[in-house]
Amino acid sequence: MTEPMIRVRNLTKAYRRGGETLTVLDRLDLDMERGQFYALMGPSGSGKTTLLNVVGALDRPDSGEVFVGGADLMALSGSELSRWRADTIGFVFQGFNLISVLTAYQNVRLPLLLTPLSRQRRREQAMHALELVGLADRAKHRPGQLSGGQEQRVAIARAIATDPDLILADEPTGDLDREAADQVLELLGRLSRELQKTVLMVTHDPLAAERSDRIVHIDKGRLGGLEEPAVAHGAQA
Amino acid sequence: MEFPLLVLRNLTRHPLRSLLTVGSLAIALFLFCTLRSVITTLEAGLAAASAQRMVVQSTVSLFVGLPPTYQARIEQVPGVESTCKWQWFGALYNDVPFSQFAVDSERLPALFEKEMELAQGSYDAWERNVIGCVVGEGLANQFRWGIGDRIPLIGVFFPHPDGADVAWEFEVEAIYRPLVRNFSGHGMFFHWDYFDRTLKAGGTPPRVGAYYLKLEPTADPASVSAAVDELFAAGPQRVQTAPEAQFQAQFVSMFGNIPFFLTAIGGGVLAAILLACVNTMLLTARDQTRDLGVLKALGFGDGRAFGLLIAQALTLCGLGGALGVGLALLAQDGIAAALGGSFPGFAVAPRTVRLGLGIAVALGLVSGAFPAWRAGRLRVVDALGARE
Ligand SMILES: Nc1ncnc2c1ncn2[C@@H]1O[C@H](COP(=O)(O)OP(=O)(O)O)[C@@H](O)[C@H]1O
Ligand SMILES: [Mg+2]
Repeated sequence: MTEPMIRVRNLTKAYRRGGETLTVLDRLDLDMERGQFYALMGPSGSGKTTLLNVVGALDRPDSGEVFVGGADLMALSGSELSRWRADTIGFVFQGFNLISVLTAYQNVRLPLLLTPLSRQRRREQAMHALELVGLADRAKHRPGQLSGGQEQRVAIARAIATDPDLILADEPTGDLDREAADQVLELLGRLSRELQKTVLMVTHDPLAAERSDRIVHIDKGRLGGLEEPAVAHGAQA
Repeated sequence: MEFPLLVLRNLTRHPLRSLLTVGSLAIALFLFCTLRSVITTLEAGLAAASAQRMVVQSTVSLFVGLPPTYQARIEQVPGVESTCKWQWFGALYNDVPFSQFAVDSERLPALFEKEMELAQGSYDAWERNVIGCVVGEGLANQFRWGIGDRIPLIGVFFPHPDGADVAWEFEVEAIYRPLVRNFSGHGMFFHWDYFDRTLKAGGTPPRVGAYYLKLEPTADPASVSAAVDELFAAGPQRVQTAPEAQFQAQFVSMFGNIPFFLTAIGGGVLAAILLACVNTMLLTARDQTRDLGVLKALGFGDGRAFGLLIAQALTLCGLGGALGVGLALLAQDGIAAALGGSFPGFAVAPRTVRLGLGIAVALGLVSGAFPAWRAGRLRVVDALGARE
């Protein structure tokens, strides 16, 4: 087998609050294969966001090993991690993802500015990403002129604009109604099925988790079981 | 490059706030440049003074006159080409003060040949009319005087011997035009003889406020000065002989410590505006915390985040500064006219423009520094947690 997209060993992170120590990630081990759509579930405060941030190099653990896409994140400096994120990761956050003063198109083009691509190529890739999420006709709209679901789809377009290997999404459907949430989930599923992206999505919506290939449970900073969703994707496709 | 776009879009995020900041910056820099120009104009007047001219005055003070008999003796000093009596008159025209001087009329044209020329009338006509006077173009325009007009002046320091409310009568025989910026176009010159004769008739013959000296081209000012001072070292009235610039500097210092005062006001205005800019930039940075987090998550480095805020501060301050300096440049002629004869040649010097723009940039850097530094250090997880 090829090496996994994500390999985490003995990952520990704790916060000190007053005299107490709150262990958020507790000697956690995790492997995630390339091209799969993972849902990370767990009760509120169980460490989901923290884990996602560590994997996305937005946060540093206290100890442990974190390899993502072959890179040893513990060995990289802050500016190296910045560059690595630009190359490797696409982020989708829960809300307020977009820069409100820029248009949808300008938002999607943002990460492309960190690439050596030509102006023309950036334009093409940004528009292509917008087409992929079905919002090419909203390119000139500001985030304030879009619905919540559309905003989140623009955020997905931005996450895939540079063609990264790994998409990290923290409760991307948390603020959306059922229909908008379904569209976003459908998109994330297509990213892994059609574009072979690895997608790691935090959610506590069981219906959302059903759309993934694998569900990972986390509780009090420790991984629970790994399960296959009840509805197999093979049957759907 | 999205960077300039992001800078501009962020500044229009709160248009009113940006507008108010730019507006107050513009006012502050307008004030600063204008105050600064008063000082540079005073300095320029001194710098423009001729090295070929010296002034003899009493060692006691400007207000103690010298005997008229000194003139002939001063002219004997080697290196002195000619002398001219110089008495500030200080009278009012319809209660308005302006500068008048009693001078040796036949010597004035040569003394200031590089500084003034006649626009109307002639020195000959002036010479023939004992109550004749030569007035500056600016003054003639201000009071709508023309050749032949009668000018009644009420003496304050030198009341008319016939009564304090009796006017000294003058008649305009010529109008001069300054040839250099710093020579006042608001002066009036009249015959020493008229001044002398009138006061003598009242029983108090005048003394001479100062003697203007024109040096021979090869003369050494220091030795002329020493020789003249030496001449009257034993009295009855001791004198000091100084270059024209030094003589004029006394009038500048008569404004008290005005240059210092103006500098202090200008500095205070800048300090106040700096605080306002810091406040604006802190608010601006706070509004963009989440955006900065998103940008950093996308892979934009700490330097970019720093630069984004510094660029916004520089844009705000640059705009306000350019506007203020531009306003000062536009207003300079109007201000010069309003100041009239008191500050001949009032102008915003190129170095004041550079100073103003430099200060605007400095304001931008200083007010942007702290928010930018914080933006650079901001951690993505903290930024994304903000406002949730
Ligand atoms: N910066 C922080 N300081 C202190 N405690 C924190 C901080 N960030 C997160 N926590 C705590 O860590 C725990 C896990 O947080 P998080 O990973 O966000 O949980 P989840 O996303 O699963 O709801 C929570 O109890 C939270 O309060
Ligand atoms: Mg969370």
